[in-house]
Amino acid sequence: MEARSSSSAAAVPPPPSIPSSSDQGVWADVSPLLAAACCDLQDGELVHGENFSLFAAMSALEIMDPKMDSGIERSRYNSVEEAIEDGVAPIPLSLDRTLDVQRSIDVMDHLFSCEATWHKGHTLAQTVFTCIYLMRMERTSSHAVLNSFCRILRATCNAVISVVSTARTHEEEDLFTMSFGLPLRDEGDEKCLSILNSVEETISRQLRACKAQALSKKKTLEGLESLQDNPDLEEDYCRALLCRLRFRKHFYHVVMCMRKPHGRGLELARKHVASCLTELNLMLKSREFLKSQSSTTLQQGDGNCTTASGCQPVGFDVSLNSRLLSPTPPRAVKVLSWSDAIRYFERLLHDLDVICTSSLDPVLENVLYFIVQFQKTVPDLVPRAFLQTLLVQDGKLYGEHLFSDVISRALSLPDIIGDKEFQMNEFVVQLGQLVVNLIKILCTNTAWQRRKLGKSLQDWSTISIQLELALKREFGETRNVLQNENMCMRVSKQLLIWTQEHAYWVAFRFLTLGFELDLYSPGEYCMVYWYMYVVLTKLIEKMQLRVLAISETSRRKGKKKKDHSKDSARDITFSSSCLLLQCYLLLSEGLSMMLAVLRNESRSFQLPSIFNTEQERFMQHFDLLLKARVPEHISFYSFKESSSRAGISDLVKYNFFKEIQKIAPSLRGSFASESEKLAEVRRIEQVAEHNRIALNIINQVGAGDPSLRVSFEFTHHPHFAVAVVKRS
Amino acid sequence: MEGGGLPGPSQSIQVSGDAYCNSSAAPLDAAGSSSSPAVAKLRKLLFRRMLIGVNDGRYFHGLFHCIDKQGNIILQDAVEYRSAARHCSPPTEQRCLGLILIPAACRSSCQVDCSVEEKMSLLGLE
Repeated sequence: MEARSSSSAAAVPPPPSIPSSSDQGVWADVSPLLAAACCDLQDGELVHGENFSLFAAMSALEIMDPKMDSGIERSRYNSVEEAIEDGVAPIPLSLDRTLDVQRSIDVMDHLFSCEATWHKGHTLAQTVFTCIYLMRMERTSSHAVLNSFCRILRATCNAVISVVSTARTHEEEDLFTMSFGLPLRDEGDEKCLSILNSVEETISRQLRACKAQALSKKKTLEGLESLQDNPDLEEDYCRALLCRLRFRKHFYHVVMCMRKPHGRGLELARKHVASCLTELNLMLKSREFLKSQSSTTLQQGDGNCTTASGCQPVGFDVSLNSRLLSPTPPRAVKVLSWSDAIRYFERLLHDLDVICTSSLDPVLENVLYFIVQFQKTVPDLVPRAFLQTLLVQDGKLYGEHLFSDVISRALSLPDIIGDKEFQMNEFVVQLGQLVVNLIKILCTNTAWQRRKLGKSLQDWSTISIQLELALKREFGETRNVLQNENMCMRVSKQLLIWTQEHAYWVAFRFLTLGFELDLYSPGEYCMVYWYMYVVLTKLIEKMQLRVLAISETSRRKGKKKKDHSKDSARDITFSSSCLLLQCYLLLSEGLSMMLAVLRNESRSFQLPSIFNTEQERFMQHFDLLLKARVPEHISFYSFKESSSRAGISDLVKYNFFKEIQKIAPSLRGSFASESEKLAEVRRIEQVAEHNRIALNIINQVGAGDPSLRVSFEFTHHPHFAVAVVKRS
Repeated sequence: MEGGGLPGPSQSIQVSGDAYCNSSAAPLDAAGSSSSPAVAKLRKLLFRRMLIGVNDGRYFHGLFHCIDKQGNIILQDAVEYRSAARHCSPPTEQRCLGLILIPAACRSSCQVDCSVEEKMSLLGLE
């Protein structure tokens, strides 16, 4: 037996640290048995237990496959310590002091690129923490410049993680907040600012001395320790270091200020955003000098450099942390180039600045408008997280307004703001929660947002049905006893209208987001615009009902004269937002009709029905709306019926696009002070004008003319297409 | 709970997976398993703790789940062991991986956990 085991176990004995099951247990080599059994197996035969599922087996991680196995040895080192022993991350970075500064700047630049890459959705472990200096920060304590930089960078990362994970806007980018047990915080990190300030102070004194020396043409610098040994380069190196350190300082301030509750830090944050942008600019300017000093030829093409100088930085090892990523397949991470990182931060700072301009207005309509406007530029994860943390804190709007009060404000019922009974009402509590969810959903990325909005419609419609039932139960069927209406009934009615209005608002946003996500094909535009028209009709109807109810309430109370001016101002706002919706409605109806005419008369824009029928497509797009009954009694047949009747003569007679051109001037008047809304009106007018002309041409040529070629483009508005008519 | 949604799709997956197995593997099972004592013995090792070494020096420890003719092995609840840094304790580093497939090409050793008596019988019956 001895001989046998020694021969068969020619393979390495297992490491002693891997225990066998019991004290008496041993590891028996079964390689020969495996070999024999495999020979006996037939092709395609498997040896497996009863619980085996081939499908589940497909998800097994394949060992030694570079795309799946993150544990493959790629690094020369088993641990950070080994890498450090081998001198991968020396401190100081070079014994030549000039080179030391130069390399420190490269490390800072690469970290900067890594940070941007992390923000773009990669893991912290594979980006910022590929830096060995950051992994073992205590080693850098003798290197003041690098230490202060790393410390504040780490504190910033930590703060950003906490913002994103509180906001939970990271959706599928969930890798963002995973820290994999990295050394993310340490005692003394709260002192990072003072450490950085003192380093900054030293360098800026040195810079001043350099300037003074240049003026007086003296040879020596008294009382100051130079940064490096070459006096000719001193000034430029000081500048290059200073802008990098100052950027970190201001960026840290931005993050900290924006986290303050109730939006109290926004004003200060804006100042720091401005300073950040200045420092970014200086960093860009330092590039010329750093490039001229780098002795090596460029790392790669200019577009791929992760540092300003173009040199490969020391002290980074990509594969050291790869095993921290648990069993997930290794993701290839391409670090953004330094210039792309600069652009990313410029964009980020700009987005943060927009958030800082928030007026902290507690009117829900304006809050929703603000978010929708903000989302138009498709901001990245981090700014969206900041926006959400600002809007919803401790379950309150901006951390200070109860959502029940936000709702009562929206109902224009100032009497019940702060009313305990109203706040405790179960419907109001539920609606408050729905509004919180709505705000959070609106802060997520477009695709995620659309899906969640569609699903939330069910909640809106459920609660409006409940409200309606409760109203009927408590106040009977009679709807017109205006005289005896009490406060309670009025509130309930208004609440119902408000709820329905918001369900339609959500539905409208859901439909328009489909355009932004490119979900509709030209053959489907007809049904999409038709649905938009239906939803908008309802939305306007509810909005007008609400305005009516509000004016009813104020009339009843016999308001004093001074309140009238306030009321009329509010009425104007209502009427202008109503008019704007009216424009959307006309555009949707016009476009839907125009497409229906083209389908009916020239047989274009028909859906190819090889894979699915038009009805199936209808269900695919509007299933969530139909299920939530937004609006009620709508089906594919209602669409079919109205579109099949469309004819060119009717369309020309009720020229929807001309109608818009009549409304637009008054809208422009009421939006005179709001540039964004003015621009929107201008876009609507352009779409209307182009479509009006297109319609005329189609009418003159005849929609059935075979030489007519009509296509739709989104050149003037992201949601409303413009018809382009050509004749072949 | 969230889990409420999961059984639906996974169940259907299970069914389709099983259906596939039944159609292709099961008939072979009936025909092939009795034919060879080695295969029968191997079958007895299913769900036992197995330790597999691979070319780059790592070891994988898990429950024996499946093997095919080519010798590719699937382990369940696998743990990866690797020797850690030069002078470091403990001398091995480990992490959990779950379900893994070890291709025959990179397998350098394969051992099962058993009692001494069983070891003798395993080796003896070769």
